Amino acid sequence: MYQIEISSKKGFKDVHGEHTLSEISGLGIKQVEKVSYSQVYEIHGEINPAQANEIAEELLSDKITEKPLVKKIETGGSRSAVNSKLSVIEVWYKKGVTDTVSESVAKAVKDLGIKEEIKVKTGHKYYLYGNLSQKILNTIATKLLANTLIQEYKIK
Amino acid sequence: MKKVKVLILRTAGTNCDYETQAAFELCGAFAERVHINALIENKNKIFEYDILAFPGGFSYGDDIASGKILANEIKNKLGDKVKKFALSGRPIIGICNGFQVLVKMGLLPDSKLFKQVSTLSYNDSDKFECRWVYLKTVRNEELGVRNLNTAEIKCLWSRNLPDIITLPVAHGEGKFIPESKSLLESLNKSNQIVFRYCDKNGLQPQYPLDPNGSMRQIAGISNDKGNVFGLMPHPERYVYALQHPSRESFNGEHGWGKVIFQNAVDYVK
Repeated sequence: MYQIEISSKKGFKDVHGEHTLSEISGLGIKQVEKVSYSQVYEIHGEINPAQANEIAEELLSDKITEKPLVKKIETGGSRSAVNSKLSVIEVWYKKGVTDTVSESVAKAVKDLGIKEEIKVKTGHKYYLYGNLSQKILNTIATKLLANTLIQEYKIK
Repeated sequence: MKKVKVLILRTAGTNCDYETQAAFELCGAFAERVHINALIENKNKIFEYDILAFPGGFSYGDDIASGKILANEIKNKLGDKVKKFALSGRPIIGICNGFQVLVKMGLLPDSKLFKQVSTLSYNDSDKFECRWVYLKTVRNEELGVRNLNTAEIKCLWSRNLPDIITLPVAHGEGKFIPESKSLLESLNKSNQIVFRYCDKNGLQPQYPLDPNGSMRQIAGISNDKGNVFGLMPHPERYVYALQHPSRESFNGEHGWGKVIFQNAVDYVK
């Protein structure tokens, strides 16, 4: 399984991150100093590293403004470590909820000429900078970032 | 008189195809909406047409990024045909989502290169922006030409327009960004920038008249030959005065969008 994370290249405006920071401020939470946003795709299937890179570079990222990070995940558990001033909130669809973007990605991967059957899961990753308590992170996740009826979130 | 044939390419999520068809038909063309699957089944069908239009909408739900999945599909399944069509000099227009498709498959700004070298990214506001805007018709800036002399306008679609027109925009990803400053200068020098957002006096606009933060307020560009044209505003939504909030018209009946479509139809005739 590959995890492909798409984020803004240095020098380009991270509009989703900035917008999220503004919305957090609108909740009355002032401790967050900065937010960076990434779109995340998990690709399950028998594809090789070259194909994963091709999907990341040709399809999932914008060549001009975005950079992809491709990681092979063996157990589905390894994530990058965080420091005390950085918290990460991931938002994913709950099991059983239709992920329409994943269906589009699977179609587009076939259009790229990759014939292997794949399954895709899409999610969002928010990097929040500041000294944030678990309570604040839960508030941000439940009031802003995740629709808990259909999405689950993980705080890291 | 020859009946000009227009292919309006549609797919899942396209929603401006009927209006685009109506705009071309108003200008005397025969316009047909063709689903991409039908064109993939019969690729040479494209050459039965004189003009190719990529209409607005939300192709494939704007998934991944607006226009990306359709651009990827066209490039991989119809790329050689679409490129040949463009290099033959026949007019091609991409409106809003269609512009995003042209840029992301690389038919704009360099149809010969056919590689993505610019993008239409998220609006600076991170919101869907929907309003009427002013557009400055860019003429050959090096020569300082400021008249309606069509010979000085490279893009065949933007001839016969005054310095400032109005059209509506409706998009979430319309911020034009080239890959480098040198490309931006090259677009300027080769007169490929067709429209810039402006205020009502033609001066540099502020948000919300600048709806997305595009570099140098770029709203529309063409290829070097001037036959392939893409723009974020919707000319098909202003072909009649009735469509304008103040019923403005240049001839008592029509809006500026009609001039754009008429230019291409007349060019083919």
